Amino acid sequence: MNYSQYTVHSPQTLNEALGILKEKQSEVRLIAGGTDVMVLIKDGVLKEKELLNLSYLDELKYIREDGNIIKVGALTTYRELEKSSVVNLSAPILVDACKTIGATQIQNLGTLAGNLGNASPAGDSLPPLYVLNANVKLQSAESERIIPVSEFFLGPRKTKRAPNELITEITIEKAKPGLHYFFKKLGLREANAISLVSVACIVDLDKDKKINSIKLALGAVAPTVMRAVKSEKLATGRQLDLNLIDEIARGVSEEISPITDIRGSTEYRRRAAYGLVYEGLYEALMGTAKRVSGGIEGVY
Amino acid sequence: MEEELEQKYKSITRSVPRVDSEPKVSGALKFITDMKIENMLFAAVVRSVHAHARILSIDTREAEKISGVKAILTYKDIPGLNAYGAIVPDAPVLAYDRVRYYGEPVALIAADTEELAREAASLVKIEYDPLPVIRSIDESIASSAIALHDNGNIARHTIIKRGDTERAKQEAYLTLDRTYRTPFQKHMFLEPEGGVAYIDESGIINVFAGGQSPYRDKLQIARSLNIPPEKIRTVDYPTGGAFGGKDDVTVQIHLALLAYKTGKPVKLWFSREESGVAGYHRTGSEIHLITSVDKEGGLLSNEAQIYLDTGAYQSFGPTILDVSIETINGPYRIPNYTINANLVYTNNGFSSAFRGFGAPESNFAIESMINELAAELHLDPIDIRLKNILMTGEEGPFGNTVRHSDGLREALMRAKRSKIWAGALQNKKPWQRNGVGIAVAIKGVGFGTLPDYPTAAIEIATEGKVKIMFSNVDYGQGINTGNAQLVAEKLDIPLNQVEVRHADTKYSPDTGSSSASRSTFTSGNALLMACSKALDRLKMEACLYFGTTNEKLEYKEGRFYYKDKSASIYELAKGLKARGETLRFESTFEVPRYPAPIEGTLEVPHVVYMYGTMLSSALLDELTGKVHINQVEFYADIGTVINPSIASGQIEGGIVQGLGFAITEDLKYDASGKPINNNYTTYIVPSVRDVPDIYVEFIDSSEELGPYGAKGVGEISIIPAGASAAHAVYNASGKWVRDLPLLPWKLI
Repeated sequence: MNYSQYTVHSPQTLNEALGILKEKQSEVRLIAGGTDVMVLIKDGVLKEKELLNLSYLDELKYIREDGNIIKVGALTTYRELEKSSVVNLSAPILVDACKTIGATQIQNLGTLAGNLGNASPAGDSLPPLYVLNANVKLQSAESERIIPVSEFFLGPRKTKRAPNELITEITIEKAKPGLHYFFKKLGLREANAISLVSVACIVDLDKDKKINSIKLALGAVAPTVMRAVKSEKLATGRQLDLNLIDEIARGVSEEISPITDIRGSTEYRRRAAYGLVYEGLYEALMGTAKRVSGGIEGVY
Repeated sequence: MEEELEQKYKSITRSVPRVDSEPKVSGALKFITDMKIENMLFAAVVRSVHAHARILSIDTREAEKISGVKAILTYKDIPGLNAYGAIVPDAPVLAYDRVRYYGEPVALIAADTEELAREAASLVKIEYDPLPVIRSIDESIASSAIALHDNGNIARHTIIKRGDTERAKQEAYLTLDRTYRTPFQKHMFLEPEGGVAYIDESGIINVFAGGQSPYRDKLQIARSLNIPPEKIRTVDYPTGGAFGGKDDVTVQIHLALLAYKTGKPVKLWFSREESGVAGYHRTGSEIHLITSVDKEGGLLSNEAQIYLDTGAYQSFGPTILDVSIETINGPYRIPNYTINANLVYTNNGFSSAFRGFGAPESNFAIESMINELAAELHLDPIDIRLKNILMTGEEGPFGNTVRHSDGLREALMRAKRSKIWAGALQNKKPWQRNGVGIAVAIKGVGFGTLPDYPTAAIEIATEGKVKIMFSNVDYGQGINTGNAQLVAEKLDIPLNQVEVRHADTKYSPDTGSSSASRSTFTSGNALLMACSKALDRLKMEACLYFGTTNEKLEYKEGRFYYKDKSASIYELAKGLKARGETLRFESTFEVPRYPAPIEGTLEVPHVVYMYGTMLSSALLDELTGKVHINQVEFYADIGTVINPSIASGQIEGGIVQGLGFAITEDLKYDASGKPINNNYTTYIVPSVRDVPDIYVEFIDSSEELGPYGAKGVGEISIIPAGASAAHAVYNASGKWVRDLPLLPWKLI
């Protein structure tokens, strides 16, 4: 591999990084953990000849509680999220998802902002971010703005990030203690598998199993990760039982728009999405689904 | 039993650590592709971008302009035979008029750096006239198909018959007619094909490359370079995995050719993706069986039509076909059979040896058939096997006399008592279904009726070591350790006094290849003979030393004893050395074989067979179709177990590789004949988290023809994995999947 053809900029501070970005814009490719970019380099398909290496920006490596919000620095790795007590207490669905990304080595290096920036519809940390109402903070040398994660993606590999902007922070809402949640991923093996379908769900059931609210997000079944809003609407306020589970799962499988590729066909992905939603909701109904243990009161 | 054995033997039957584990585990060991030599050039291969095309012209002028390029070779530069192939040399070393698979080598570049070599490779202009691509067995045998070779599209065809299947079918209680298919499988060794070649001061071309057959490679190199074999040295250790995919030539001829033409050291090392398109794979198979039984499940007849897809060229195809013929009747008593076997060319890459060598393909068919027959007859799948397996001393299906099949019977009895056979899993979710499956396997050790004369040597070094030399390559399977244990046992010396000289034609005699589960049997026997020869000679020396003649001397723990005197083999060796006598003892073992193959085959039958019985427990998710094999039990009859830990590792590794074949691995070619999945991301081998709980049990058995009763181990456990897993899935789902792998969309 000939890396000498790439010019690598390694800023030590965020300001320095934003300065380089202002000048170079889309001439540079952002690289943090490198778990996606290195593959492009190896395959010889990386267009940019310059890399902006973000790995020295320690100021973007943090997980902070702020009331009902968890602020995650852009360079936080999957492993750091998995180990974080606040994330485990109030956003455990993100922990479950991170544990399915690649394998240990990938989780040690890959960053949350990297998964966002890479904008693969199969990015496994993304469906949880949708159901946790995450916001993405974008900064440039001149300004900053905040975009809800659900509006951040434009399509496969396309986001609203402007060429002079950097993702600097992701904020997520804490989930209320007691809520049921599940993250389910279907890949062809148990590690190092790209999702055929993934589902993240947080459901608020009252003690009589009536659905107070439900959020369902799916990966790898549309040009971007998507919320199954029709199915959520259909389910809200109704009694969770096997019939409703079937209705919701069916609704989800119709609402998605998967493609056929090397990993699976459109038809199969619809059936698998049905299966994953059915299994997760069944466990919620039976009380065997995981529940948010919580810390301080969430805002869900 | 273990205690008894421990008393019986000092070195063998013990799980000693591998002789080369420390440098491998610490990372100190350099693999061949880690080698760097001063002024070394880097090679790149210009490969066909068509699966089937005529070559109209090859223009190297642009590539020649790149400074730093030291050689650009095409077919015109090959001094000798422009063809290679272990059995039939039908594959061009460099394509000349036609390419037959995507990735076929057309030209070679050597340059100062890898980048320059690849750049130059990209500048070689090849003008093609694309031809129709033959993508399947059906397309290949169609009467309208374009001929891929002068001999047509069927590389080998044979029919073998016994008895009268037509009559048997008429008299049968039940006849099933089924077609089974298995996919191509990639070896996916961690170290892709690669190596280094250089010419030394004496003019010898040294080829260091990951391989399995140093001497055969040497002959193939010599044939293409048109130089005598003694001008070539091949070294094959350490190789990072092979599984049959390095049994035939990979980079060796190209490396030697480049070193020969440039006079400089050259390195060639495939990328993973290059290995994905240009490396070998297992034959794809389509097997049609019509099998008849009586009311009690007794097998009456088996009609088999076997089609193996060898891809563009034959490599080991003809002998792979033989093994598929030999295993299509399983270990069963089948009085009437017809086997119509065909090796078919296509443009689907290049098939070659792969662990099991035609047996996993046939096994999936016959063992699935036995399971289907049992289900139809409402018979226990173990009982139907017990009823039909051949007994020791009976005549086998190919005129052979069955030796030691009691281990298989014992394995089936134990399987019957096993917990997973008896019980369904508890605490299942409503969408989970559990099922247990079984398959048994039989596989010959070695080359059947082909003449096989492995030679090995030992050298009594005066510094207190015994060096052992053989050409079987330790590519991870542990042959170096097993052989060291055999020699330590025979010479009654501590294991640490045995030093293994790894596979290197400069030192190692020709023991043949590391393939066909033969290494322990062949090099082990030859080494034991060499030990006897050494002891005979040293005994004479001891008599001389003790001042006596031809006395009965006591020998133990590396020393001869006479009255109150004793002398070690090393002291005695010094005496020999002082007189200029050799301390190297070499012996050739004649592998027992039937004098001739049965009509219509090349090497059927074998004398010695291994047996395996595999139980798989599947957990099927009915909603997603996903299969997980969560438990496996394997009962192996491999004769004496030289090193239980290494042998278990071989069994476990074969099971996991077999489950990959059964469940997820599915090499596919697109409409243009280009492989779709050529790396670990897209070609799904199991990860460590997919590995089931595996329980391995060795049946107490001993094969007198083997070294201390050993047979072989490498291939037996991969063979029944497909049928065992598919049977488990049937018992979970009620569905017979007759085309592997068991992908989730086939099950919902």
